[in-house]
Amino acid sequence: MIRKVLIANRGEIAVRIIRACREMGIETVAVYSEADREALHTQLADEAICIGPAPSRDSYLNMERILSATLVSGADAVHPGFGFLSENSHFARRCQECHITYIGPDPEVIEKLGNKSEARNTMIAAGVPVIPGSKDPIYDEKKGLVIAREIGFPVMIKAALGGGGKGMRTAETEEEFLSSFRTAQKEAQMAFGDGTMYVERFISHPRHVEFQIMADGMGNVIHLGERDCSVQRNHQKMIEESPCAAISEELRKKMGAAAVQAAKAAHYKNAGTIEFLLEPDGNFYFMEMNTRIQVEHPVTEWVTGLDLIKEQIRVASGLPLSLKQDQVKLNGHAIECRINAENPEKNFMPCPGRITDLHFPGGFGVRVDTSVYNGYQIPAYYDSMLAKLIVHGKDRNEAIAKMLCALGEVVIEGVDTNVDYQYEILNDPVYQSGKIDIEFLEQFMEKRAHK
Amino acid sequence: MKLERYFKKTILRTSREEEEMKEASPSSERPEAPQGILKKCNACKAAIFTEDVKKNYYICPKCHNYFRMHAYRRVELIADEGSFEEWDRQMEINNPLNFKGYPEKIAALKEKTNLDEAVTTGRAKINGIDVVLGICDGRFLMASMGEVVGEKITRAVERATELGLPLILFACSGGARMQEGIVSLMQMAKTSAALKRHSEAGLLYISVLTDPTTGGVTASWAMLGDIILAEPHALIGFAGPRVIEQTIGQKLPKGFQRAEFLVEHGFVDAILERENSKEVLSEILSMHGYGKCYQNTGLREEKDSSAWKAAIRETKITEADQDTTKKTTAWECVQKARKKDRPVAGDYLSLLFPDFIEFHGDRLFGEDGAVIGGIARLGGRAVTVIAEAKGTDTKENIRRNFGMPSPEGYRKALRLMKQAEKFHRPVICFVDTPGAFCGMEAEERGQGEAIARNLYEMSDLKVPVLSIVISEGGSGGALALAVADEVWMMENAIYSILSPEGFASILWKDGKRAKEAAEVMKLTARDLKGLGIIEKIIPEPEEFNAAALPEVCENLITEIEAFLENYSSMEETDRIRRRYQRFRRM
Repeated sequence: MIRKVLIANRGEIAVRIIRACREMGIETVAVYSEADREALHTQLADEAICIGPAPSRDSYLNMERILSATLVSGADAVHPGFGFLSENSHFARRCQECHITYIGPDPEVIEKLGNKSEARNTMIAAGVPVIPGSKDPIYDEKKGLVIAREIGFPVMIKAALGGGGKGMRTAETEEEFLSSFRTAQKEAQMAFGDGTMYVERFISHPRHVEFQIMADGMGNVIHLGERDCSVQRNHQKMIEESPCAAISEELRKKMGAAAVQAAKAAHYKNAGTIEFLLEPDGNFYFMEMNTRIQVEHPVTEWVTGLDLIKEQIRVASGLPLSLKQDQVKLNGHAIECRINAENPEKNFMPCPGRITDLHFPGGFGVRVDTSVYNGYQIPAYYDSMLAKLIVHGKDRNEAIAKMLCALGEVVIEGVDTNVDYQYEILNDPVYQSGKIDIEFLEQFMEKRAHK
Repeated sequence: MKLERYFKKTILRTSREEEEMKEASPSSERPEAPQGILKKCNACKAAIFTEDVKKNYYICPKCHNYFRMHAYRRVELIADEGSFEEWDRQMEINNPLNFKGYPEKIAALKEKTNLDEAVTTGRAKINGIDVVLGICDGRFLMASMGEVVGEKITRAVERATELGLPLILFACSGGARMQEGIVSLMQMAKTSAALKRHSEAGLLYISVLTDPTTGGVTASWAMLGDIILAEPHALIGFAGPRVIEQTIGQKLPKGFQRAEFLVEHGFVDAILERENSKEVLSEILSMHGYGKCYQNTGLREEKDSSAWKAAIRETKITEADQDTTKKTTAWECVQKARKKDRPVAGDYLSLLFPDFIEFHGDRLFGEDGAVIGGIARLGGRAVTVIAEAKGTDTKENIRRNFGMPSPEGYRKALRLMKQAEKFHRPVICFVDTPGAFCGMEAEERGQGEAIARNLYEMSDLKVPVLSIVISEGGSGGALALAVADEVWMMENAIYSILSPEGFASILWKDGKRAKEAAEVMKLTARDLKGLGIIEKIIPEPEEFNAAALPEVCENLITEIEAFLENYSSMEETDRIRRRYQRFRRM
């Protein structure tokens, strides 16, 4: 059983986890770097242990220090949050070896799903639709071209160990393919030390739709509906919502069943997310599975009424899921905007600094998950997300109206933020129409530049 | 806003959920690190996973500190899988002094470490090459050398001699074993004597010094390798640092007696990084003619020649270029030879000898950056390469003392030539120096003696010797690497008794008349060829810089190969007689 949880993370997710634990009567241990002495998570937890200097690799990524802190504090479980060590199978395995409950899936599962080709093969075996593409790894462009022809252009070239758009290229024609392949492979070699590549059909105008799943140790798996995360810039999500405007109850059932099937095939446990690309015609393809809690989990919490962090802890301590699939009812519409300390006019350049004045909105259906406070100094070492503003309305229109009201109330002085930019997006007729895909933001930016 | 003491902490309570949880997993184990999963690095003090250390060759993943390795782990690291055949296990350990408690201590250590003594010996293959191995294990009385350690090493050396096999010993020791008294001391002589015979048989001994190598082991077999390698930062010395500090009453400087210190002071050929140790050792063995090296070289050559061609394509010299160089005056030649962007020895080495392994130190006093030496292959043949080296920038020039060797540079060169002689490797020297270093320290250590000794020993070195003056051949400092079967010069190199400036100032009391001096000194390649001082002139392009070097080297490599072919097929006595005559007639 879990009496004390060490949160191996920082920022708003650490705060979110501390709150969930506190509600459950579970003690919390925060870990912090030297740059985070004054951070909210450090101050909020029951105990806090400094695990090293500011750079992540010396603190939030240092497994040895985090495990030592766990053992010293007497915590019996670790919550990895997202980012940092949250999808590191070595870390999960080490926790297991030390009899520390890792609040997440088993190390073998993290490892398997973290490898794109293995994940894909697992999904094919489970009958989950995947993007048509090469089954075996490709190492040279000539072999790749043969396969690209089979799949049909346009194609996407991807690194096996890729992520964040690195080692990724599209090719419209055969000529373009050869040079794109070489560039992508070189990039992958540089970034990941591995030049194993894949080629797949390039899906045009898809939405990024992901399904939240939850699984316990007894083999029960449920899905908690979807999130539409199509509003993204360079694979960085900016706005997420649930449900997705383009999904009918019938399609939700179909995709949800596929997501559950995928999780079962991977012997998944705890919270996870299956990402799909959804084409306008309703075809969907498995993209990848995230083996952790996600930034945008609050939108799902709001439409389902389920506290995902608490559910994670329950499942990790060996309890069954607290609800069955037929008890999952999606209610209303939730939208989340990520508030970042960045300057949209300067290509979203991060803007660390001290917050000199701060006001967050509130009221019915408005939630703010944040770790900043008035006078807080944002360190330059970590990501730039300051807060998540989440609203809930009875339908999408009400949610948009509520988000506009809420964004309009936000005051953050001392640093540049994307609040006004988010406000503009919410006001955009295309966004409001709900006809968005992953190219929406790029088009929005162009449109904005012309004004 | 300071947040401290504002927030309420968690209220511990037995909630319904907690009750449920208790039932769910009533008997879960308390978190704890299983024995040995984590360890502390004794250098950076960081906690590290034992598994990471094992996967990382027993090197700290955080600070790169080398941990001491168990003998059998070292076997796994170095030897081909399953190839190790251990010798002389379970020899009886005597107690010659009847030292109280010694047998009990030995028994306890045997039990604890599963070793039978502080050294493990046997025969193994390294990338297919047969070798005799001896590896110390510090867990056994700090690998001190008593009778059995001495005996096992001696037997291993003797068997290597009988079998005609190369020998690799990994040293790690606190020194001679006190508990066995004078008998331990005698092991130093015994092992050294056995090594002498191994060497007399023309066999290779590589000594690898690991942390710590001290006392009687340093003062015997550890320091007798033909090639001495050391692991990074290993403590190596005769007297231990604490003893020295107590004796002299001073604090020792940082890095004192560490492997890098020994390289700097001329006693270690090179630092051996553990990650590459197997490859480096097998490469050295192969260059000494062990294993299937000559079959392998075919492949290497092919690879190299393609690299060549690519490099050459970029730099073409035209016939016209060559024509204009013919009209160069002596003074222009001097200026060209001294030109800043002219290729230096390092440039030649990297093009001609891509697999060059550098060896440092004179084994007497120091390491001289002005002389580079080592072994390499040329056309499938192992050669010893020695070069006077200038730098390509100020920083490197300071390290290389602007190509002006000190006595230790010449002594290193001689040491490597003698090594070449033992292993029947031709010697190729590259000469490029304004002159031997003129400094107090150089005089104190016998600059004159060092140069003289080279002339003397080179005159009857048993292997072919070729010297190539690539830029400046300044006086005795150049001659000390040029008592060769043939001496060649690059087209615009110079070779003279003194710099034109020095010549003018001595004879005419006017250093400014250097230009005039250059014309009368007969220092150009053409003049010297006419005088019979040199054998060959290697043509250069008009603009001779590093970019133009590949083309020049293409020609040079053919010439050197022809030289090696020619002189290697010669009778040894004939070759030495000719070399004697070469200088006799001058």
